Parts: sequence; C-alpha cells; structure tokens
Amino acid sequence: MPPSLSHQQARIEAERCLFCFDAPCVKACPTHIRIPMFIAMIRSGNVKGSAELVRTSNALAMTCGTVCPEEIFCQSVCTRGKQDQPIQIREKHQYATTHGESSKRKPALPPRTGKRVAVIGGGPSGLGCAFELAKFGYRVDVYEEKKPGGVPRNSIPSYRLNDKQLEMDTKLLSSFFTIKRGPVSARTFDKVRASHDAAVLAIGLGEDRTLGVKGEDVKGVYPVLEFLERAKSSPRTMKIGKRVVVVGGGNVSLDAAATAKRLGAERVTLIYRRGEREMRVWKSELEEARRQGVEVRFLTNPVAFLGTKRVEGVKCRETILGKKKDRSGRPIPVEVKGSDFVLEAEMVIIAVGQTIRADWLGELKRRASGYLVVDERFRTSMANVYAVGDVIAGEGTIVQSVAHGKHAAQAIHHQLSERP
Amino acid sequence: MRMEYKNFKEIPIYPKRDLSYDFLGLHWENPFILAAAPSTDDLDMVRRAFKAGWSGAILKTTSIEGTRVDLCYPMMSTFDHDGRRLFGMGNIDLISEHHIDVVERNVRTLKQEFPEKVVGASIMAGRKDDWQRLVERLENAGVDLIECSFSCPQGNIGEDPGKMLAQSLSATELTARWVKEAARRVPVSIKITPHVTDIVEVARAVKRSGCDALTASNSIQALMGIDIRTFTPYPSLGGKSTYSGMTGPAIKPITLRTIAEIARNVDIPILGTGGASTWSDAVEFMSVGAGVVQFCTAVMHHGFRIIDDLTSGMGHYLEEMEFRSPREIVGKALPHIGSHDDLPRRTIRSKIDRRLCIGCDQCVVACRDGGHMAIDARPDRIPVVNDDRCVGCGLCQHVCPVDNCIRMEEIAIQ
Ligand SMILES: Cc1cc2nc3c(=O)[nH]c(=O)nc-3n(C[C@H](O)[C@H](O)[C@H](O)COP(=O)(O)OP(=O)(O)OC[C@H]3O[C@@H](n4cnc5c(N)ncnc54)[C@H](O)[C@@H]3O)c2cc1C
Ligand SMILES: Cc1cc2nc3c(=O)[nH]c(=O)nc-3n(C[C@H](O)[C@H](O)[C@H](O)COP(=O)(O)O)c2cc1C
Ligand code: SF4
Repeated sequence: MPPSLSHQQARIEAERCLFCFDAPCVKACPTHIRIPMFIAMIRSGNVKGSAELVRTSNALAMTCGTVCPEEIFCQSVCTRGKQDQPIQIREKHQYATTHGESSKRKPALPPRTGKRVAVIGGGPSGLGCAFELAKFGYRVDVYEEKKPGGVPRNSIPSYRLNDKQLEMDTKLLSSFFTIKRGPVSARTFDKVRASHDAAVLAIGLGEDRTLGVKGEDVKGVYPVLEFLERAKSSPRTMKIGKRVVVVGGGNVSLDAAATAKRLGAERVTLIYRRGEREMRVWKSELEEARRQGVEVRFLTNPVAFLGTKRVEGVKCRETILGKKKDRSGRPIPVEVKGSDFVLEAEMVIIAVGQTIRADWLGELKRRASGYLVVDERFRTSMANVYAVGDVIAGEGTIVQSVAHGKHAAQAIHHQLSERP
Repeated sequence: MRMEYKNFKEIPIYPKRDLSYDFLGLHWENPFILAAAPSTDDLDMVRRAFKAGWSGAILKTTSIEGTRVDLCYPMMSTFDHDGRRLFGMGNIDLISEHHIDVVERNVRTLKQEFPEKVVGASIMAGRKDDWQRLVERLENAGVDLIECSFSCPQGNIGEDPGKMLAQSLSATELTARWVKEAARRVPVSIKITPHVTDIVEVARAVKRSGCDALTASNSIQALMGIDIRTFTPYPSLGGKSTYSGMTGPAIKPITLRTIAEIARNVDIPILGTGGASTWSDAVEFMSVGAGVVQFCTAVMHHGFRIIDDLTSGMGHYLEEMEFRSPREIVGKALPHIGSHDDLPRRTIRSKIDRRLCIGCDQCVVACRDGGHMAIDARPDRIPVVNDDRCVGCGLCQHVCPVDNCIRMEEIAIQ
C-alpha cells in the first residue's frame, strides 16, 4: 500500500490541479466524482466538504481511494498530464476520506416510501445500489452470504486493502439498509422476490474457471479465489509451499503471486502464455509484484500438473505468438513442439478467470460469455429482477461496480414510481 | 463494462447548513455576493450565479443614458508569480456600457425571478441631478441596495479627470449626501478607494453624509509589468499602455488593513471587496469588520461554481467554531489589532524541528544575508540556531518550505 499523502503533500498536489471546467476526469470516473471541486476544497482547507463530495458520488470512497486503478480511469485523461504529470487523484480522495470524515454530519435521507427492494450480494455493486436506493427512501434488504464487502473484503490482499479501510465505508453505509446474513438459494430466491417490489442481483463472480489440464485436482493446486480468501482470512495457519507456480496473466494472478511471496514462499513464478505486451494488467500491480520478487515467465503454457498425493511440479511448454488473433484482439499463442520443461513446485495457484457461482439463475438470459443480459435499465429477462456489477460485466473494477449499482438504483426508482 | 442509466442525476445527501442572516436591514442567504464587474453585467450571467447559490450581486456600475463609455481592448493583464497565473489581475475596464434603462430592466427581472436574492446596483454620475435620477429609477425598479462608485481608477465622470471622487473628502461628503437624500427606501453604500492618506477620514465623511455603509475597497492602481524588449507596459494597446486596477489574491492584505482601519475607528457597516478567493478569505474579511464579502477576480478566473466550496467551507467552519451564524465572525479579529507601542516585548528564539527539516538550508542563507547570521549550516544539512545571535525576527520561519518545521519559542530571560 503506498503511504497516504501528508497534509502538505495533499496541499501541494491540490495546488497543481488546474481546476478544469467540464473536466475530463469527472467523465472518466465511472461514479463521476466532482474531482476538480473536491480538490479545490482540499486546497481551500475545506477537507470535510471535500469528503462529503466524494462520499456523495462513491459509496466506497475509502476503498476506491486505496485500490482504484486510477491510471485507467480519472488519471488517464488528466489535463495536467499534458503539461507535466497528472494529478494523483485517487491518493487525493483517499486523503479527503481519511481526514475529512465527520461524525457530526451524517447523510440525511428522505422519509421511507414504504416500498422494499432486495439486493442480493453485498459487494461493491450491491452496496452502491443499496445506498442509492436508500437515498430515495426505499427499505432495502441486502442479502449477503458473508460479511459485506465482496471481493474487496474477501480477496483483495490486505497489503493492498485492509479491513479497517473497507470498514470505514461499510460502517457508514450500514445504517442505511438492513444486512440479512445467509446465502440466497433456488428456494429462497422466489421468496425474496415475492416479498419485495424489486430484486437486484449483485452476486459477482464466485467461481474459479478451470484450465482442463491433467492433474488439476491434485492436492496443492488451488483455485485463486480460494487461495486469496484463505490467505486473507487466516494468513497464519495457511501453509505456503517453498516454490509456488501461479498460472495466469491478469491482475488477480499478480495478487496471488505477490501474496504467496509475502506469506513466505521462497520462489514464486508466474507463467503466462503470451508476452508482456499482451498482459492485461494495471501497471502498478505488475510493478508491485515484481518489487516483491515475483518472477514472470512469459510465453509459457502449463500442460500438466505433476504429482500423485501432492503436487510436485508443473510441466510447461513454450509458446510463440501466432498471426491469428482471438476475440480480445490479441495474438493466439502457439505451442512449440519439444520445448517441454518442468517447474518444480509444492503449490500451484490457478488464476485464469471467474464465472458466476449460482445454480438458481437457470431462467435468466445470458450472453455467450456466460454473464447476465440486461437492458439499458439494468433489467434482466425476469420481471422485476435487475442485475449489476461483475455478474453482468465479467471481471471488472470496484468503481465500475459501484457505478452500476447507483445507476440501476435510479432506474429502479423511476420504474417503481411510475407505477400507479 | 461501462453502463449508465440515461436519466441519472446525482442526489446530494449531506444537509446544507443554514448560512443566512440579516445585515444592513437585508436578509442574506449567505455572506457571498458578486462584486460590480463583468460577471454582473449580463442578465443571464447573474441568473446562473443566483441558481448556483450566490446570495446577491451588485450589478456593474451604470450611468445616465448618453454617458460616453469609451472602452479599449485588450483590457486585462495579469501579475503571475512563481508560475501561478492571476496572482494579481489588472484591468483597464470602465463602467458598464449598459445605461440605466437596461439596468433598471435587469433589476426588475431579477427581483421577479429571485425575490430572495439581494439585487444591488452600482451607479456613477457627475451632476447632482443625475445621481439622484439614478437612485430614483433603481428604487422604482425594486433594487435592494445601491452602491456608488466613488473609486473607479480609470477616469471619472466629473470635473477632475484622473482623480477619484473618494480622494476628496468634501466631494465625497457632498455627493454622498445627494445620493442619500434621494434614496427613500434602500440602503446606500459608498465604494471607496484605499488610495488616500487617511482612510478613516473618508469613512467619517461618508458617515456624516448619512449614507448607510461603505464598500471597502476597490482595486489597487498598478502598472502591471513591462515588456523589457519593447518597453511597453501591459496591457499593450498598439505600443501604448496605462495604469491598471489590480485585483485578486495579491491585494488581499491591503484590503484587510483598509477594512480593519475603518472598522476600528468608525461605526459603519462595511461590504468587503478586494482580493477574496476562498471561504477562509471571507472569514478574514468578516473578522476585521465586513458584514458581507464581494467576489470578482476569483469568479472571473474559476467561475460561479466556486460558490459550492464557499458555502460548504463556511458551513464546516461555523460548525467547528460553534458559531450559530456568520454574523458572529464580524469584528472578531479587531480586539487583537493595536498599535506597535501596545505590543508585548518578549524574548523569543527560532527552533528548528530536526525531524521535519528536509535540509534545503534556505533559512541559513536568509538569516545569514538578511537576518542576524544566527543559523549555522552543518554537514548533515540540518541547520542549528545559535541562540546568542538569534533575535527571534521570524524570517527563517517564513522561508522554510516545510509546514511547522520552524517555530518561534519564548525563552526564559536570564
Ligand atoms: C483478487 C482480485 C483483486 C481485485 N483487485 C481490484 C482492485 O484493486 N481494484 C478494483 O477496482 N477492482 C479489483 N478487482 C475487481 C473487483 O473486486 C470486482 O470488480 C468487484 O468486486 C465486483 O463487485 P460485485 O459487487 O459485482 O461482486 P463481488 O465483489 O464479487 O460481490 C458479490 C457479493 O455477493 C455475495 N454473494 C454471492 N452469491 C450470493 C448468494 N447466493 N447469496 C448471498 N450473497 C451472495 C458474495 O459473498 C459477495 O460478497 C479485483 C478482483 C479480484 C478477484
Ligand atoms: C474587469 C473588472 C471590471 C470592474 N468593474 C467595476 C465597476 O464597473 N464598478 C465597480 O465598482 N467596480 C468594478 N470592479 C471592481 C470589482 O468590483 C472589485 O471591487 C475588485 O475587482 C476587487 O475585488 P476582487 O479582488 O475580488 O476582484 C471591476 C473589476 C474588474 C476586474
Ligand atoms: S473512484 Fe477511481 S476513477 Fe473515480 S476518482 Fe477515485 S480513483 Fe479516480
């Protein structure tokens, strides 16, 4: 976690902000935080006002202030970046939420409408949606299997986001809706729908994709979410192998590799079947993993996991990038015959993406990718059932999930208030 | 995957604090109003400002139909300092090109659309009749407040070109009397200039005239800079230039002193103007005696949107200070201002916090060549104060780039 800005750093950085009109950063942030204004407030010494502005737009202000990939959002379009360096926008709103949160001034909500909405899933999209619904006076029940917070709570490694930071957000939010602990299942889904005027699916992606490679079920081969969740909830009892191989290529694989290293692995190798240029990761994440000593082997494909009782190694094959491109526009890797080699490992982590974990959504229309289909008002193919977050977008980001939640809430409100 | 609902609108959730209070017999939604300037010269601009949350506006100075307003362009220039634009802003603008017929119409429209806002108008004339006609017509149009420009630095409509009305005590008192005589319903404020030998005398003259308030003060006459290759000062109009009225952050300390000096000596309500950009500047203006604060350059630079920070910042400040209303700030700093003779004589020394020092050694050179040669440089770059040489002048503290690194501490006298 990069250290937070000091008061003086925050002021100097605020003074660099050009206070652009109709600023591009506001458009680039999915939650449309009024960035130049909140920075002007820091500059004038009105940090509390600044925090209120950030909170109004982003229900997970502290979480995003800590781990939002600003370089692909607000910061990527910062006008100041055309002169010298872009403003450290995320660091600044983390500063605002850290120093400006006031216990005296709570958001004031309107009187209850009497209508009820169920939000299934208490991750970023669910919390964003529930908070926005509360702003209209709905009684909102958030059904959450675990503690609220979703992936940021359970899987994002604590060296990047700790529980205290997340709880700054969830605590503030908790008074605006009811959290109902426990999983929604095929049986309870109908009940939940029947007892609410609308239901929102915000269940994210809980299921790890598999590779379909021999030996994937051997002990010591972990699906990445399982690994990260255990590493976060019980880092002390978690046994880490001396040598760890991570199969992946996305941000999640970098988190897993860096976590393994931090938990004591001597040698962590991340294997990716394409080259560095094709890697879809946030620069900051790759840098962090490398800084922690993670080795990255590009153009490497796993062909089998070795070992009978426990995993002992990964049989790999080198690849080259072909001329043909896949749906993502990246060249398809082609295996090189006779290039097999073995990476010895006591632990293997498979991080090749996630899918929806729910066997009770059978009737709902899905896209080819497996994610749920919604219309421009976030409505699924089932009446009065909406969906937001990763469950419609695939692996996304926190800020985008919060934004989905917000927008869907207003669509729901308009729908429900149009009724006679 | 970016997806947005097309009818989405951000909903404010934090309750706005009530900043309203009474001053000059008028009700102000908050202490922030627009000064007479380009921002108040157009109906649509004032409309937008009111919608954004400004509590009032002084419409740009108007005159009787037929008055010649001979503008020239460009009229703006800037005093940039250390890479920062508009630290001071210069203008060679004149009064509005809109004569009273347009302004009375604007007043009427604004009062109709925004009855809760304070709509003031600024006027300037030469003859008694004209001053009084202007007042009458504005009162009939429903204006809430009349401000008289006695301090336009770019010429004057009168007998003594180049000199401002407020630079003559007798002319000030006489003209102010004419205006007050004509005003039957609304308060009148005289906008003065700090360019006088004794501001208190001017304030007394206004008080004697019976006028209700002072607007203190206007821009500072300045030569904004000179192109050192062509020797033409800024702004350059085909190789010629003239003195500008300087406004903006650079003149704030001058205005603070002007307001304080009036408030300490004359019992008269003051509208503050000249160098305020933030809510905390407004607090400072009010603490030396201003009842409301006018903004011009800050708005010309960043737009009406700055009102969001002004009201939010003021709200949080009042809460922190446990003040019930902005009124409570007015005059709070005055008891702390006295003459040099009244100041306590203490023995103080500079103290450098070793943990905060970043080793730039700027304090060393400042004290060596501009103080008392009391700070010694060290190989580790953390300087050490020599208590025998230090007199506690405080220069080092102000050149230090680190917050709170150097402090002045009282020491026991041996
Ligand atoms: C390891 C990792 C690191 C990441 N790092 C970042 C990052 O640094 N920055 C960033 O912006 N994004 C990051 N992301 C992406 C981001 O976390 C997700 O896009 C985001 O959490 C999606 O939010 P969501 O609400 O759609 O789903 P989730 O966060 O998955 O939340 C879904 C919630 O629903 C609950 N749930 C599921 N099924 C049920 C059920 N049947 N009944 C009740 N509750 C249920 C789950 O317990 C969970 O709390 C990361 C993702 C991962 C996996
Ligand atoms: C371009 C410009 C035009 C102005 N015109 C007038 C005017 O017509 N009448 C007047 O009384 N003051 C006028 N002023 C002065 C402002 O009302 C205000 O007192 C001054 O700018 C100082 O405040 P500030 O530092 O907030 O800008 C003008 C200022 C500027 C910059
Ligand atoms: S939430 Fe993310 S995109 Fe939005 S302002 Fe913060 S860092 Fe930028």
